[in-house]
Amino acid sequence: MLKINNLKAGIEDNQILRGINLEIKAGEVHAIMGPNGSGKSTLASVIAGKEEYEVEGGSIDFEGVDLLDLTPEERAHKGVFLSFQYPVEIPGISVSNFIKTSINERRKAAGLESMTAKNLLKMLKEKMELLSIDKGYLSRNMNEGFSGGEKKRNEIFQMAMLEPKLSILDETDSGLDIDALRIVANGVNKLRTKDNATIVITHYQRLLDYIIPDFVHVLYKGKIVKSGGKELALELEEKGYDWITKESDKQWA
Amino acid sequence: MGLINNIKSYSETISLSTEKKGLLNSFLENGFPTIKDEDWKYTSLKRIISEDFSIEKNGNDIDASEISKHSLSFKNQLIFVDGELISSPQIKGVTISGYADFESRNNDAIMNLNASLCKNGFSISVAKNTVVEQVIEILFFTTTENNFSQYRNQIIVGENSEIKFVEKIQNLNNSTSFVNYFTQINCDKNTNVEFNKIQNNTSNSILIDNVDVYQKDNSNCDVNTLIFGGNFTRNNLNFEQNGNNCESNMNGVSVLDDNQFADNHTFVDHKSAHCRSNEMYKGVYLGKSKGVFNGKIMVRPDAQKIDAFQSNNNLLLSEDSTIDSKPQLEIYADDVKCSHGCTIGQLDDEALFYMRSRGIGVEEAKAVLTYAFASEAIDNISVSEVRLVAQKLLADKLNVDLDFSL
Repeated sequence: MLKINNLKAGIEDNQILRGINLEIKAGEVHAIMGPNGSGKSTLASVIAGKEEYEVEGGSIDFEGVDLLDLTPEERAHKGVFLSFQYPVEIPGISVSNFIKTSINERRKAAGLESMTAKNLLKMLKEKMELLSIDKGYLSRNMNEGFSGGEKKRNEIFQMAMLEPKLSILDETDSGLDIDALRIVANGVNKLRTKDNATIVITHYQRLLDYIIPDFVHVLYKGKIVKSGGKELALELEEKGYDWITKESDKQWA
Repeated sequence: MGLINNIKSYSETISLSTEKKGLLNSFLENGFPTIKDEDWKYTSLKRIISEDFSIEKNGNDIDASEISKHSLSFKNQLIFVDGELISSPQIKGVTISGYADFESRNNDAIMNLNASLCKNGFSISVAKNTVVEQVIEILFFTTTENNFSQYRNQIIVGENSEIKFVEKIQNLNNSTSFVNYFTQINCDKNTNVEFNKIQNNTSNSILIDNVDVYQKDNSNCDVNTLIFGGNFTRNNLNFEQNGNNCESNMNGVSVLDDNQFADNHTFVDHKSAHCRSNEMYKGVYLGKSKGVFNGKIMVRPDAQKIDAFQSNNNLLLSEDSTIDSKPQLEIYADDVKCSHGCTIGQLDDEALFYMRSRGIGVEEAKAVLTYAFASEAIDNISVSEVRLVAQKLLADKLNVDLDFSL
């Protein structure tokens, strides 16, 4: 589904990603871990198409198309979804209005009619149940005055509504207490199918107790320096990142 | 020739009362205000008044379909065509007629021009203890070309009564027009009045719109102004609170592009104690458009315990658009709460990326954020039909096919 090939990107003169290679197949969950500043969020932003990052080389093949040739909205239309580490507050637009606009813009791009109000409401209700969200939430302004946990839950709610093929969860666990974490992880798990894939970006192993990855990658200084199965996450939890980063530093020296 | 000469020649062909002659002479002596006048510092009439607007009217017939195209389809409609009242509703407790003479303040050249020569307009009087449930829609159509016209209206709302209006001034051809409009609203004790102005006239139209509101004890009056169309718009909105516990609310949304110009001048005169005023003006400027906001709040010595709030927020969405914003507070009472704020900014890039990452195209994302920006003022309008029109006009103006309602 996704094949990242030698991706190099940075911001202004500062190179952050220094040759990322990653392949993800439908149905898989990949965890990307790594110390702070290793480039995890940059990778997420570059896949989603944030324009302030300059791509210096490489490609991101998504179902036969290079995402780098597409605008952020076109990537979303293809089925890419980024759950933001810091979701943006948009006063003046309700959650329901925002989601309705997102869905209908995607449908428009696919040449489909707008979703009927009836179908939309039905779907909203269904997905709200999935994520234990109460009804009053729909009329609140997008992320305005939301707690950290509410913002993250709102991200997963949008993911549930937009039904993407590839979801990138950027530090979805930060700001969540254990109950909220369980609800969000449970939601993510229920949305898993054999046709979609998930990239879970996290600093801590904790989230991976709930969302079990098929593969774990360690990102350090803009490169994937180690990959393994879910047991790698447990090893990292126990030993920290030092043993990997030191080894990489030695190699690069 | 210019407009002022045309006015002079026209006035020589008609007979005027001594009083009106006096007002006219006072106008003719001073002429239209210029940018040397503090209240017109950012707003020049020079180009407009040098044009050769005619005063005589040669009306054309109007199609019913034209009327419905521009109306919000309320049941109760007052319809004017070239100044003539052609339709007015029958409402229990409400007396409606065409133009009736009344006195207004005479400290302003443009008001004096209106008071001396205007013979068109309406007079609406609401009896005591009358709640008018249905909105009254007022439509002024102009079919004549290159015309200078004036309207002079009075609304008197009796004690314990309630009424709501929606008003539009609409040209039915695309030629230049110049309207000098005035409405005086007298709110008696315990009244509740809402006046909505949809200013979406054709791109060559020029409007000077004056509204004076006089309020007595416990009255509540809202004036909402939505500016989408027109070439040049100047709104002078004045509130005078002459009783305790009054509330005056002003909401404004301007969305301008190309070479459009709009100036909102508001003045709230707090003369009595325990009153409130809330003012929220939102401006969105595209292309080479230009906006002016001047909000003056006067708190007289007797106006203790008042609460006055004013905000003017502006979005400049192009390199060439400009806004001049000026709050003016004069406070002569010592136990009052007055606050004001003014912002000028652009759309937030983070929010734009956030929306685009959800599949919302860049133009649509800008439109949604612009709508979000304006919605705070739009949401204060109680008449849902007006809110819908505002949403639709905003989407049209930003060239997107979006429905903001849910």
